This record gives sequence, C-alpha cells and structure tokens, in this order.
Amino acid sequence: MKTHPTEDILDAVVIGTGAGGAPLLARLAMAGLNVVALEAGKFWKATDDFATDERTQDFLFWNDERLTAGSDPIAFGRNNSGTGVGGSTLHYTAYTPRVQPDDLRLRTDFGVGEDWPLDYHRDIEPYYDELESFLGVSGPAAYPWGPARKTSYRYAPLPINGAGRLMEKGCRDLGILTSPAANAALSAPQFQEGYGWRSACTNRGFCQAGCNNGAKASMDVTFIPLAIQHGAEVRAECLVTHFERDSQGRITGVVYVQHGKQQRQRCRHVFLCAGSVETPRLLLLNNLANRSQQVGRNLMAHTALQIWGEFDEPVYPWQGIPGALISEDTHRPTHRAGGPADFVGGYLLQSIGVMPVTYASQMARGRGLWGATMHEAMGRYNHVAGINILGDCLPYAHNYLELSDEKDGRGLPKPRVFFSLGENEERLTSHANGLMRAIWEAAGARNIWAFPRSAHVIGTARMGTDPDRAVVNANGQSFDVPNLYICDNSIFPSALSVNPALTIMALSLRTADKFLMS
Amino acid sequence: MQHQNPPYSVLDLLGTDRVTPATRKALLTRLSEPPVTNPQFFTEAEFGRLQRVCARLMPQAETDSIDLAGPIDGRLAGKNTNGWRYDDLPNDGDAYRLFLAGIDQTAQVLFNLSFDTITPDEQDAVLRAVQQGEPSGDLWVGFAADRFFEELLAEVVEVYYSHPVAQQRIGYTGMADQRVV
Repeated sequence: MKTHPTEDILDAVVIGTGAGGAPLLARLAMAGLNVVALEAGKFWKATDDFATDERTQDFLFWNDERLTAGSDPIAFGRNNSGTGVGGSTLHYTAYTPRVQPDDLRLRTDFGVGEDWPLDYHRDIEPYYDELESFLGVSGPAAYPWGPARKTSYRYAPLPINGAGRLMEKGCRDLGILTSPAANAALSAPQFQEGYGWRSACTNRGFCQAGCNNGAKASMDVTFIPLAIQHGAEVRAECLVTHFERDSQGRITGVVYVQHGKQQRQRCRHVFLCAGSVETPRLLLLNNLANRSQQVGRNLMAHTALQIWGEFDEPVYPWQGIPGALISEDTHRPTHRAGGPADFVGGYLLQSIGVMPVTYASQMARGRGLWGATMHEAMGRYNHVAGINILGDCLPYAHNYLELSDEKDGRGLPKPRVFFSLGENEERLTSHANGLMRAIWEAAGARNIWAFPRSAHVIGTARMGTDPDRAVVNANGQSFDVPNLYICDNSIFPSALSVNPALTIMALSLRTADKFLMS
Repeated sequence: MQHQNPPYSVLDLLGTDRVTPATRKALLTRLSEPPVTNPQFFTEAEFGRLQRVCARLMPQAETDSIDLAGPIDGRLAGKNTNGWRYDDLPNDGDAYRLFLAGIDQTAQVLFNLSFDTITPDEQDAVLRAVQQGEPSGDLWVGFAADRFFEELLAEVVEVYYSHPVAQQRIGYTGMADQRVV
C-alpha cells in the first residue's frame, strides 16, 4: 500500500471506510488523486480473524457508548454503526434492494416528508447497475417490482433458507407475491480487483457477525482493495476529532488521534463518511457546516418490526443468507390482511434468520423471559423463523441528535439520540404487525410474538436545494464549507422503504463523479 | 410443543475440521475459563448477590456451571459497554450497584430478610417486582427499575447462550460451518 506523509497536502481525506466512504475512495484513487482514508477501527483480515461466534465478533460494532432517549429509544451497538475498515458493511446483512422512483418523492405524492433533489433514472439507476455487477449481487432473473431492469442480476439467487420457504408458503395463501431477494453475497466465485477470488457463499448465516470467506460484498473485500490497488492509503485506528480551517473557513487539515497520539493530515478536500451518528457528532463538536441548524435534526430510523413464530418442522434459523425472500407488495399497500393502509409511504417484507445469542437477547428484551420459560423458549430455537419489515419514517422536530455533557472514554461528549415514533410510523407498524401475523398463521406458526425495533439512523445532515433547510446540496457538498463533502445515510432527505446500503454506495460513486467533474 | 434436538457433543465438534481455527480458539478459550472468584469491579458481597440473581434468571444444572456473573464483573472492570445506554439510567456500573442494593432493600421490605437469605421463590418475587418497575424501597426512587432489568436480563442471557455448553443444550451447531472435502 502506498503511504503519504502527513505534511503532504493531499487532494482529499476520506473519513470513514463504510458504504459511504469506500466507493468514493476508490473512484478518487482511480482518477489519480492522492487520497487517504482515516478509519477509527482496525484493518481486519476476515479469513483469519473472524470467528463464528457472536460474542467474539462484538468488535465489529461501534461500542463507544451512545445515550438513547425518547419514547421509542433506538438500540445501538450491534443494531447500528460498525467499526473497522469496511464500517458497518462488515456486519450488514447484504440485503440490497433498490429504491423505487416514488421513494424519492414522498412530499409530492403525500404532501409530507421530503422529496430528494435527485432523479431516479438519471442520478441513481446507473450507479445501481454498476454496483450490482461490481459487488456481485445475487438475485432473481426477473425482479417483480419497480422499473424494469436493464439486465438481470449477475448471479442466481442464494438458496432460500427455512424462514424464506415458510414465508413463501404463508404469502402464497394470502395472495402476496414474493421473490428471492437481492443480496450482495456471491452465489458463484468472483474475481475482485486488488483482492483476488471471493468465494461463493457457504450459507453460514453469519453475515451480521462478519463474513469470513469474502462471499459477502463488504467494503474490505471490494472497494477498499480496489482503492489500494489504485494508490489510495487506508490509515486504520485513526479517530478524527478536529478540523483546521483557513480564514475563509475552508478546511486545510484533519486532526485525528492514532494510538493515543494526535496527528494532523493536511488536505485540499474532505469527504466525511462516518455514518449518521458520528458525522453529525463531529460537525457539532466543531461547529461546522451548520448555518442551517439542521445538523443532528430530521433524524429518522426505519420502522423494522419483527414477527417471530415457532414451527413444527426444524427451521435451523442460523442457516443460509438471513434475508432470503422479499415482498414489495407492501411498498404502497392497498387494503390487505393488515387493515386499511392509512399511512404515508410503505415498507418491504423480508424473511429473517437469526443467530442464537441475538435471538435470546431479543427474547429477553422483547418478551422479558427468564428462568424456566427462557429455557423452554430457547429449547425451540431450531424451530424459529422470522419476518421483518423495513419501512418509511417521517422526520419530526422531536427526533434529533445532540451532544450530551457526558464524556466517553476518548474524552469526547457522548451523543444523545431522541427518537419517538410518530402517528404515521405507529399506523404503518400496526398494518405490518397484522399482515405478518397473518402470514405466519397461514404458514402454521405457533407462539407468534412481535419484537418492536427500529434500524438505520438516517437524515442527520440532510441534502436539499435550500441552504436554510439542508446541510449539503444534491452533490453532497456542504453549503457552508465548499471543500467539505458528506456521504453516508445522514444526507438522506427521507428514510426510503428499503435497506440503505446500496443507495449509500450509489450516492458515494455519484458524489465522487460530481466532484471529479467540478 | 417441546422438540427434541438430536444429541451431540460440542467438544467433539470443536475438534473437527468443520470448525475454523479462529472459531475453535474462541470457543475452547471460553470453555476453559475458570469461574471468577475474585471480582475486580464488585465487592465480594455484591458479587455473591449478583451470582444469586443470575442463578434465578438462568437456572443451571450443577454440571453446566456457566459463569454468568464473572463476565459481567470483567466487563464493568474494563469499562466496556455494548455501545448504548438508556438515557434515563445511570452508567452501567452505578446501575448494577444500585440494583444490587435495591433488591436487598426490597427483600427486607417484603420478607424482613436479606435477598441473600430468602428462598428462590421469594427471590423471584423480588426480581419480578423489579421487572415490572414497582419494587418496594426508597433506594429505587428515580431509578428506572424495569429498564435496568431489561439490560441485566439481556446481558445475562447473552453470556449464557454464548457458552458452547448452552449452545449444545439448544442444539445449535452453527459454529461448525466449514465444508469438509
């Protein structure tokens, strides 16, 4: 790997190496720019370092304490941001549905929420095409929802696991269309520039605790090796704390702590891609790019209710890609088993597998089981299957991130996140609750139970066209600090009714292209 | 509806090449860790009480003897967190100490005895009151008892089900994820 002295004035410093930072790092390096990525976590070698053990793999999560408040507080830790080169793609499920064009125009269609300042076909779709091929997404030959695709997914779908087969059965009974899902995990080996051959998925079902054979398209086996191949430097274990600025307010250097020592890297441009909690935290700490006062505001989180059930036949819920099956019939739902669709936006349905410690922990939190009842319920773990939604969420004034007075182990203020569901999210969740229970009943489930949750913090540095109402413009560039770009899910103007990773990567490539054109 | 999981030995499985070296190392280390007898964070009295609590939350056969309180003590001594905390709870260490003092007071109110000397059924009654957010005693004032109980229970079951012996009990064989050719 090529390295740069900190005294060099680099073309760009990229902060964070997840879905927001890694694609643009590679793009900038391939254009011949001198770029360094600063990553708070370590540079792992998954094939040697990752164990098939949930507890050992806790190091993948952002474990600096965050304070969670509001009437529906969001769980962090393993439920959200990651750390390590690759960011949270190290523990994402690799579920990569595309948004549908109407996801980008919630305000136009419903009169609430926000439109995106982007056009699906012009600004996003070409990047989806590129990404799905590059990452090696496995999916169905014909995907039933959204605009027609230019080509099929590159690889055949991954095998449908136990939960997927049961969901298929329940949905068929209710007349709900399902399809094998798109997953950024290989169903056949693929050569990856800078990395070598990535293996096909072996159905370990351990995506959320780290893939150890390169099958899952996390950034550490895709864009990061590509970036390094083209001259980028990835500097691990570097936590950014400050920015140096000139008299015009432009950033001239990034200050970070590496192995307990403060360092300064000079640069011409900064790409802040630290995720929707660390990005606004860093901006607030430095009172940066916040003339709009929107940093930390408009915080959203996907409605992500899970419905679990027990089946007579063995399911083996740890086996196979966790999100094997999808339905987007509920993208803009009409009247169905869930009751009237009296809400804005919609959601997708996915079958879910689960690892044992995660499932036990959820039963502790969601059902409060202990003693003999917990033993009995976990005794049926092999017979458990779940369905999950991923749904819209509107921005509200009562949902935001702030800096608390409490300091973390690094001496920085802990972030405090307020989150309470609004009426729209309550209605959407209630609809989904009814529908998923009906699916599981049709599939023959017993002891059905609901685990309320939300996932993916979104919107804390949103993009828009109005500098008074947004933090960055449609190209991800700060309205206040012209040599600062932001790219992660903090810039999403609306939550979208799909998992965010593929869209973050698409924005990342687009941001790089727009920057290179400027 | 109770299912029988086919019997197997997790120890035998860990010896095969269906398990990666990293996985084998992690699980054998956990299997061989001696139970904590000298707590680093809690006092002896607090630690003993936490062990009694754990024995009610996840009761075990004598032969299993998975150390549940020890890893909690180790985590708190190392100032490690799971990445988040309910804003209405004090920091993890203070919350644990408050809880351990609080259940003793509740036991005094309900049974005129220390939590350490009441029967298992009586201990369960105290713990249920905490879980429901209505434990007796002034030590609990201003403390979100039900929230803390959720945190405590989640940590205890996570420690328990991370142990290969507990995983064997529920028929989990996912650690053996390597194809053998």
